[in-house]
Amino acid sequence: MTRRFLTAEDVRRAAGNEIVVDAETVVTPQALEVARQSGITIRGAGGSYAEPQPDRGPDASRAVTKLRQIPEPEGALKGRGLIVTVVGCNRPGVLAEVSAAIAALGGNVNDISQKMVDQYFHMVFVVELSGSGNFGDVKRELEALGHEGDYAVSVMHERVFRFMHRV
Amino acid sequence: MGFTEQEILETVRMVALETLDIRTTTLGISLFDCADPDLESTCEKVYTKVVHHARRLVEVAQSISDDYGIPIINKRIAVTPVSWVAAASGSHDLVPLARALDAAAKEVGVDYIGGFSSYVHKGFTRADDALFASIPQALAETDHVCSSISLGSTKSGLNMDAIARFSQVVLDTAALTVDTGGLGCAKLVCFCNVVEDNPFVAGAHIGVGEAETVLNVGVSGPGVVRSALERLGPEADLLAVAETIKRTAFKITRMGELVGREAASRLGTSFGIVDISLAPTPAVGDSVSDILELMGVDRTGAPGTTAALALLTDAVKKGGAMASSSVGGLSGAFIPVSEDQGMIDAVRDGALSLAKLEAMTTVCSVGLDMVAVPGDTPVDVLTGIIADEMAIGMVNNKTTAVRIIPVPGKGPGETVEWGGLLGTAIVQDPGRFGCSIFHARGGRMPAPIQSYRN
Repeated sequence: MTRRFLTAEDVRRAAGNEIVVDAETVVTPQALEVARQSGITIRGAGGSYAEPQPDRGPDASRAVTKLRQIPEPEGALKGRGLIVTVVGCNRPGVLAEVSAAIAALGGNVNDISQKMVDQYFHMVFVVELSGSGNFGDVKRELEALGHEGDYAVSVMHERVFRFMHRV
Repeated sequence: MGFTEQEILETVRMVALETLDIRTTTLGISLFDCADPDLESTCEKVYTKVVHHARRLVEVAQSISDDYGIPIINKRIAVTPVSWVAAASGSHDLVPLARALDAAAKEVGVDYIGGFSSYVHKGFTRADDALFASIPQALAETDHVCSSISLGSTKSGLNMDAIARFSQVVLDTAALTVDTGGLGCAKLVCFCNVVEDNPFVAGAHIGVGEAETVLNVGVSGPGVVRSALERLGPEADLLAVAETIKRTAFKITRMGELVGREAASRLGTSFGIVDISLAPTPAVGDSVSDILELMGVDRTGAPGTTAALALLTDAVKKGGAMASSSVGGLSGAFIPVSEDQGMIDAVRDGALSLAKLEAMTTVCSVGLDMVAVPGDTPVDVLTGIIADEMAIGMVNNKTTAVRIIPVPGKGPGETVEWGGLLGTAIVQDPGRFGCSIFHARGGRMPAPIQSYRN
């Protein structure tokens, strides 16, 4: 019989000094504690007990396989695009700094636009990330470039813009 | 480039300046398989199952936030109403279950866990009885547990006995949390036509028809709507106002759809719904009241407020419905009084009365939310306020809720600070008159004629 949980009460009731649980059983922390105190070993069929991967239920597998098949809005970059915007006070070297950082992180600038409003500039880079670059790391590194009173960088995934502005 | 510069800057501005965010990612976890004849074992299973499924929730939400550059503010858990899970134990005291839920919430690092709940819109089971008796102590003792109760529905009518008992539970909860200004009541809400996939606390829980685990997302963005209306200016007519709100709601909801799909996929669980609700926070600008005032009422609560709110709620729903095929939950505009700086000011200035708030709830998405009343409010007055609100929901086929806080030791006009997202409240005056005989009658209010649809 498959049992979803092995509780402290189950351990207290168990005869012998070993309980073998199947691969689907989750042992509660309290059961582990009671077993430890009374010298009972809890083990899986193939060796020591390890908590199984969460079973999200019969509907869940579809989430992984089908969610990505729901039609998405059309966009230029599929998958690895970043949109980097830079806003700040104008001074020489900002464009060079940001584009050098993008290149160093493995990004390829597909498009760039720049505009001045009064003494402030704003730049938009459309970047395609090559290879194994990690979005989170790239975002952190680029956003760390800016300083208060100088300029601010914000990095967002291209999918955000695709979802918001394309049907 | 694939997008115009204007489009890119619009999105960046929404996040950077207009507080667009994903308000909550809520993982629903069914607890049906945790029922056990022994309450202690039930608690163990509940704790173990919640931790087992939600262990990666905070980490996944953070990773999505990092990857997409959209802030995800809250991570929450919603569970099966515990009275259904605890019934098998026959226990009279369900506080241990609240402790187990609280411990699990702390272990996985979520903000709140909703589901210390029961459905009593027609009658009480023994477990519901035990749950009602346990609520005040449970909410006083725990930090993260929220409780919600279904007291009526269009299909079943109103359970007036339950409403009367609930009012007493509210008073008892306030009495047990005197030192925090009755804060326990902020985690306690009752519903008519309860929503079974609501990702927002305090009403979050998952109903009988839900999957083993399901991820629901709540998006918010009063600040974005406010800015859009600011740009539109006072000259535009109301059709233009509705169109602007609808377009903005569409864009906000698309963010929810994106994050919901991604989070469900990364957690390997079913994707439930996107709840597009304009949920204010005490932060300046993140206010539903500001939107109403931009639409043209002098102060929130002035004549015209209900009409403006009706337009707002409807336009938000229409934009949301186009943006996602999975719009659910409460979806509309929230009016939690203490959490919205504009509404706090309106109450302070005498513009927004309790009566006007009740009128507004006929067209907003929920009901009387985060309303403070004097600590010595008689129980029959609370029953009357709650019954009125439930009746609005019952007759109009909509969800209504009451989250009311009798603030111990405070009278009308006095201020209470709850801090954080719960904000500041001015205690409102429920009036001099009550309904003691109506309260004492009890029984059930039959389902209205509009429920006979079969």
